[in-house]
Amino acid sequence: MSMNEWDYEPAADLELSLRERLREFPREPHLWMYALRVLAALLQRAWLKLYHRLEICGAERLPVGQSFVIVANHQSHLDAPSLAAAIPMKWLHRAFPAAAADYFFKSTPKSAFYSVVFNALPFERKSKGAQSLAVCRELLQNKGNILIIFPEGTRGTSDEVDRFRSGIGRLVEGTDVPVVPCNLQGAAQAFPKGAALPRPRKLVLHIGEPKSYGNMSPGWDTVEYIANDLRKIVAALGKAKV
Amino acid sequence: MNQLLPMDMDPILRTYIVFIGSLLAFGGLVLTVLGSIIKRNVASIWKTYWGWLIMIPTLFITLWFGREAIIIGIWLLSMFGFKEFARATGLYRDWWYTGAVYMGITGLTVVTILPDPRHGVDGWYGMFMAMPVYVIGLLLTIPIIRNKSEGQLQRVSLAIVGFIYMGWMFGHLGYLVNAEHFYGYVLYLVFAVELNDISAFTFGKLFGKTKLRSEVSPNKTLEGSLGAVAVSMVLPWLMHFSFPHFGTADLLLTGAIVGVGGQMGDLTISFIKRDLGVKDMGAAIPGHGGILDRIDSLIFVAPLFFHMIRWFHDL
Repeated sequence: MSMNEWDYEPAADLELSLRERLREFPREPHLWMYALRVLAALLQRAWLKLYHRLEICGAERLPVGQSFVIVANHQSHLDAPSLAAAIPMKWLHRAFPAAAADYFFKSTPKSAFYSVVFNALPFERKSKGAQSLAVCRELLQNKGNILIIFPEGTRGTSDEVDRFRSGIGRLVEGTDVPVVPCNLQGAAQAFPKGAALPRPRKLVLHIGEPKSYGNMSPGWDTVEYIANDLRKIVAALGKAKV
Repeated sequence: MNQLLPMDMDPILRTYIVFIGSLLAFGGLVLTVLGSIIKRNVASIWKTYWGWLIMIPTLFITLWFGREAIIIGIWLLSMFGFKEFARATGLYRDWWYTGAVYMGITGLTVVTILPDPRHGVDGWYGMFMAMPVYVIGLLLTIPIIRNKSEGQLQRVSLAIVGFIYMGWMFGHLGYLVNAEHFYGYVLYLVFAVELNDISAFTFGKLFGKTKLRSEVSPNKTLEGSLGAVAVSMVLPWLMHFSFPHFGTADLLLTGAIVGVGGQMGDLTISFIKRDLGVKDMGAAIPGHGGILDRIDSLIFVAPLFFHMIRWFHDL
């Protein structure tokens, strides 16, 4: 008599310490982490709705169900939660804001907080940027994953949308992955850089039409073009009537 | 050291704190001497030593807090132990089964704390012993509710092993807290099982020639194993103060259960790890591997010791 072998599949991060596991990406699914994240998302959404009266325009444009990238202006720590709030709860664990590894993953408690609450993807913006981009590209190959990127690279202080870094161009050049430009208004007033607590100011999120750049031949010009094009659209969305 | 401890502390707990505290201090001294005078590289041993330096005070503080704290401590170890098992087998990807086992382990903890509704004594014994019936029933219901069959037998089986071994068998250690002489029992078990491990390692290093189970754990030797059994058979007499009401038969059985059962527990986790193709069950304790790597022997010994006591002495 013969029996087929059972097919075990140990967790990829089984023998890593908690500290290392939190910095790993992709992270292994984790029951408690997901439960805490759902709770945190509900609280965040309630906070944004009640305290900031967050208004979302154009949520129906998000191509949920397929993989896509969200790009937006970056003024405060309210940006990522506001963008996440536009995504249906069902896709909560599939939406990853790219977060600077040197800031959000500096210590173990910080890594735990940002990976559990925000589902943050540790992005190396100083060195090993190419490696982080490769992780993002792989993420987008799996259907249903959502990547949230702030191509300005850091929080801006004025209402102007700063230059977009080339990373976004390198990420989507030569692919059909849709990019959804978004603009969040009011965040600079609600939670400026350096403020200890958010103020009860109104937030308005404009979601633009998805764009893809698959028809352009890859190259440095395309990369520059994509970054500029998206910056212009994001800036224009900000000029829309509130 | 004895004067520093609270006056109302259980005398057996007090003795163990002084005794093991001294051992720990002596061990640290030996390591320091070895490291500085003989210039041997002891870095990895230091890491293991630091692990003990965290685990032992945690254990004593929990024991000092008393019944509920100990039961909750065992609950946490069971939950994390099962989690490691689920992560190592891949079962953790299916939240229905892992969730059901977590619920089962929590159920065990609740009935360990609750009084028996019929007799009013601490611990609902009947429900604790019947718990596998309900949890296995629940696990078998999952594929039916989900209307799924493919791969479900494997998941149900892994979940049952996980619950019975890491939850129910290990949970006997928590239930032991409802016994009259629980400090002596629990402290003796933890100490004896560790000494059994250390003896097997030491005798193996000194006299080891014959492989014990080459396909399960190639580093263990028959000589080490026999040495450990010998030490474990003697220990109950040396530590008789832990259970002064024990007669010769009890002491003999205690020695045999720890000596043989402890090594069985070790080998059980070994064959599981080898089948899964992993080195450790996790990395929860620096220098020791996962929680299961640490409590493996205790899981096997706890229920055997428990039922021996209940048979001869009632709890």
